[in-house]
Amino acid sequence: MTDPIHPLPPADAPFLHIVDGRTVTARRGFSGRVVKFLGEPFASAWHHRDLIVAILQRELRERFNGSVAGWVWAIFSPLLSLVTYTVFFSGAVTLPNSSASRSPIDYGLFIFGGLIAFNFFSEMAYRAPSLLHEYAHYIKQTMFPAEMLSVISTLRATAYAAIGLALMLLCQLVFSGSLHWTVVLLPLWFLTFLAFLTGLTWLLSALGAFTRDTAYLMMTLSPVLMFATPVFFSHEALSPNVKLLMYANILTGFIEIIRDLVVFGRLPSAAVCAWTMFLSATTFWIGYWFFRRQQDGIADVI
Amino acid sequence: MVSPMSSDPDISDPDIVVGARHLAKAYRLYDNPQDWLRQGLLGAYKTYYKSFWALKDISFGIRRGESLGIIGRNGCGKSTLLQIVCGITRPTKGELWVRGRVAPVLALGATFDQEATGRENVLIGGAVLGLKRHEVLAKFESIADFAGIGAYMEQPIRLYSTGMRMRLAFAICAHIDADILIVDEALSVGDAAFQRKCVDWIDNFRRTGTLLFVSHSPNEMIRLCTNAMWIDNGRIREIGDSTDIARAYKRAARREKDNMARFSALS
Repeated sequence: MTDPIHPLPPADAPFLHIVDGRTVTARRGFSGRVVKFLGEPFASAWHHRDLIVAILQRELRERFNGSVAGWVWAIFSPLLSLVTYTVFFSGAVTLPNSSASRSPIDYGLFIFGGLIAFNFFSEMAYRAPSLLHEYAHYIKQTMFPAEMLSVISTLRATAYAAIGLALMLLCQLVFSGSLHWTVVLLPLWFLTFLAFLTGLTWLLSALGAFTRDTAYLMMTLSPVLMFATPVFFSHEALSPNVKLLMYANILTGFIEIIRDLVVFGRLPSAAVCAWTMFLSATTFWIGYWFFRRQQDGIADVI
Repeated sequence: MVSPMSSDPDISDPDIVVGARHLAKAYRLYDNPQDWLRQGLLGAYKTYYKSFWALKDISFGIRRGESLGIIGRNGCGKSTLLQIVCGITRPTKGELWVRGRVAPVLALGATFDQEATGRENVLIGGAVLGLKRHEVLAKFESIADFAGIGAYMEQPIRLYSTGMRMRLAFAICAHIDADILIVDEALSVGDAAFQRKCVDWIDNFRRTGTLLFVSHSPNEMIRLCTNAMWIDNGRIREIGDSTDIARAYKRAARREKDNMARFSALS
């Protein structure tokens, strides 16, 4: 019997049901739970796509329209570093195998590729621990999907990385007259990197919500990590054992791949790709799992 | 007929939009950050925090189309209860269910991004409350019209007065087709004309939706709600007809003031 004045809400209306601190959801078997867990971050991002777009738009507008020169800064600062590295490091770096070194700009591009990847990482590493504090007003006051902040901030950082990458390709095009066909694989590189950084941000932001020590830890670790990452040198010149050890650092793989694709124009080694993808996927889902586990506490402690 | 404010609501009854059974919420208080780390690592063996029970035992059921006023002194647990109903924080014990879309007028004003313009905040706020982008855009003129803040819509929120912020927040909430509207003191920030506009809108909303209203003013509560709940120290002290509750609350407020005077006289 339905009351005509107060009609029943549609079947897809939101329904929240919590018993003793646990959200009640449909029962699933083991495989159902695995599929749900793996798909959940994507389903959630799709569900909140309008929110992601709205916040991302506003953040990018603030970044690029908030200052007088706006876009000029965004392009000028990576350009300056590209020129600097080309001028000061050409010759100082021995490029692996003689396949490359067609022009002095290759040295600059070699380092710039490493820098794009490392800066992409370090921006998230610095920002993630304070990310939830930055958005505390949303998380504490409204039913904001806090897990999407990691996605939003990684996408925002992607915009800067993409500008750097566009400059890199432009320089390559201007100085050598052509691009390697392998650059069409760059979107895959971006996707994998995005997955890794999103997972990392989930981990660091959840930890950072509880203790400010996370921010200090990352500030201490990040510069050290830069030297354990082949940004200014080529890890291929290292002894085989050390080289293998370098791959424990996921950034090594990312840097090797972007250099292969853009500077050397060759397909990266399958083993390196598989290893990098494996580390990314692991970070992504472990990060998501950890964040969801801590999420109930986060609104209370921030 | 079932009592309108059942203290033992039945989840299988689709008419009960907000139901709570023995709801309790504890916050964990740590003396220092080291204890938080110890709890994370060794929590299975020993407890390193003190529990603060903001809500101790709350049971009620609100049916579709009903309006419930919540009254109580500062710190009695009103805000915690609203946060739980909104899904912002999670109850520690007990059962809770909420059917339908919730529009919290109170919170939305506080969530505005200070640097973003009114327009951007409408887009973000609408999305947070579950509207699709095209729906927000379609309703934008109407929202701007309701808020009545004119050209300020294109200015950053930090330039807004408290009243203007509240106007915008209410305007958004009024446009999301909510099933449950949650209103708190926020309303008292607006000027008389806007308050009347809001009250008229709420009156109209009550014909189809469910209202949760938090106030320190018993009279305002009687005006907007048929039922009321008086929370005291995390428990329901009295629940029932809003006129009766308001009378009891006013009487108690006078008595407690007397008590305080007596204590200060003693010291």
